[in-house]
Amino acid sequence: MSWDFLAGQFAAQFGLWWLIVPGILLGIVVGILPGFSPQNTLIMLLPLTLALPVEQAFAFMVSLYCANHLAGGVPAILVRIPGSGGAAATTLDGYPMTRKGQAQQALVLSFVASVAGGLITTLATLALLPWLSQIGLYLRSVEMVVVMLFGLTLIAVIAARDTLKALIAGFLGLLIGVIGTDHIYNAPRATFGFLELYDGVPLVAALIGLFAVSEALVMIEEKMIVSREGRERAMRASWAETFDGLRIAARKWWHIVWTSFVGLFIGIVPGAGASIAAFVAYQQSRLWSRHPELYGTGVPEGVIAPEAANNGVTSGTLVPMMALGVPGGTTAAVMMIVLQYHGMVMGPRLFQTDPGLAYGVFVAMAVAYVFMIFTILPFARYMARIVLIETTYLAPIIILVTIVAAFSERQYLFDMALALVFGVIGYIAHKTNYHVTAMLIGIILGPLFEQYLVRALRISEGDVLVLFSSTLGNVLWGLLVLSLVLPYVRRLRKPQTVA
Amino acid sequence: MAPKAALGADLVIPLLAAGFAAYFFWSIADLSWEAKANGVLIGTLLVGLVILQLARIGRSLARGSGDLRMDPLWLPREALAKRVGMVLLTAAFIVALEWLGLTLALLVAMALALRLLGVRSPGTIAWVSCAVAGVVYLLFVAILDSAFPHGPIEQLLARLFA
Repeated sequence: MSWDFLAGQFAAQFGLWWLIVPGILLGIVVGILPGFSPQNTLIMLLPLTLALPVEQAFAFMVSLYCANHLAGGVPAILVRIPGSGGAAATTLDGYPMTRKGQAQQALVLSFVASVAGGLITTLATLALLPWLSQIGLYLRSVEMVVVMLFGLTLIAVIAARDTLKALIAGFLGLLIGVIGTDHIYNAPRATFGFLELYDGVPLVAALIGLFAVSEALVMIEEKMIVSREGRERAMRASWAETFDGLRIAARKWWHIVWTSFVGLFIGIVPGAGASIAAFVAYQQSRLWSRHPELYGTGVPEGVIAPEAANNGVTSGTLVPMMALGVPGGTTAAVMMIVLQYHGMVMGPRLFQTDPGLAYGVFVAMAVAYVFMIFTILPFARYMARIVLIETTYLAPIIILVTIVAAFSERQYLFDMALALVFGVIGYIAHKTNYHVTAMLIGIILGPLFEQYLVRALRISEGDVLVLFSSTLGNVLWGLLVLSLVLPYVRRLRKPQTVA
Repeated sequence: MAPKAALGADLVIPLLAAGFAAYFFWSIADLSWEAKANGVLIGTLLVGLVILQLARIGRSLARGSGDLRMDPLWLPREALAKRVGMVLLTAAFIVALEWLGLTLALLVAMALALRLLGVRSPGTIAWVSCAVAGVVYLLFVAILDSAFPHGPIEQLLARLFA
């Protein structure tokens, strides 16, 4: 890959602005609305993408996909409703910033971290693609079980205020995630007699219930979601707040870089996805912070880490697809269908047979990120105004519209009722400090965890010790234990203040 | 003296979790080990955690530092009726959707919800409800062609634009 080749690729992709900009705008709209996933949107747009030449189709799909990852953070920050699972971690510090009247700043931090994180990891992927593609080959079921458990330990570490309550919420979520038929015999488990639960609990209904409905039910207690000072600050907000956000993001450049690489490496692991990446990055950011006790109260690093990571995932997800022919996620699978329709065969040979397309995908992604920052940044000031709407209007709109959105994933009325049930459970959990985020992580991880655990156990004919049989797996076990123990050690070493 | 903690509310999620775990174990009793392994592992850990939490609550009750009040779930009292009303209204909206169609059901539910939460001006209720229902119709029915039940408004608009 020469510089001339790369320069030509960049020039060609910039020439596709007429597809990239609509892709970005559509991706932003889809990302803001909970219940709309990029894969569903891409499926609906298949007639368009199949009709376009493959390079143009890919520029459009990649722009939509990246913008979707960026926009999921907008409702997470403004009203504590993540637009997608990948933005759930953003609520932890994004929403407290909003309540303090710093919504505009939080949005700018989120946009800059997303774009910079996405851009850095895309360029790194371009340079390191041949080596990165090998990572997926070393991670088998055993290692994946540990990776999943690593995600689970975050439940306890993230919700450190009451670890036991967080663990109960997380394991309840995990058990809810196992509802449905098993992977081998299709035997139904804990479906309460509902056929609609045979495929498992729909994630969109759980996400909408646990976050949107429950939050709106809590919201009713107050006239506005921001404090009085926060309201005054939001009303006074000017372009200066946007520049403040940019200044903070520039000061935290190293934080953006390393958390985006967390996203890239997790994105390469097939099936791991943005939600795990965002939580791992958030937890690692807090673990290595000089002021971990401030996380959850609205600190910029708490917005930067998950947003940089969940956009670092975007290029990582495409690595196994392009290099090995194994899609790293559902969106990558939809993209692969389009490529196969055009007669492209994914895998290592693609880089020899069609380097223009193989590298062009990542160049398109980098170009999309450049366009994205100029498209969305000016809107931060106006988006932040949503917090000035009174809860008497905001709460019913959130409850009724998101309940409608719960229908969109599978087109079952049952999912709307399920979202309401999750809303009530989420409300009780919220009011009694059983972390709803931990419950959601459990629901997301449940099916994946079972898949890898059962596969590992079947290979070893039921021997549990197989989980400790690989060197890489054992290193991961060590890191997992370290993640759990280190916060306690740090707390013990901290001098106690006298009351 | 410090006020007693309302621990009754803290029991709801653990009891729900224990009940669900029991139902889960019952539902997998006759299945093969592959279908059971994960559920048994997670369910057992969950029950263990619930027992720990119950023991913790029991210790607080024995020390007299808490009682079984459920206050965190009800307070503030002035919001309780609104909250319960919103849940019932949303359930009614989902049921009515099949007969009224998405747009009309949402319009009515939105108007009732605004009234319930304290909006008094009929004009405001009307325009906010119509705007929300209109946007949802455009997005879900006109653009995305989702399979929502069609009611009188969808049928009328379909005839007008057919």
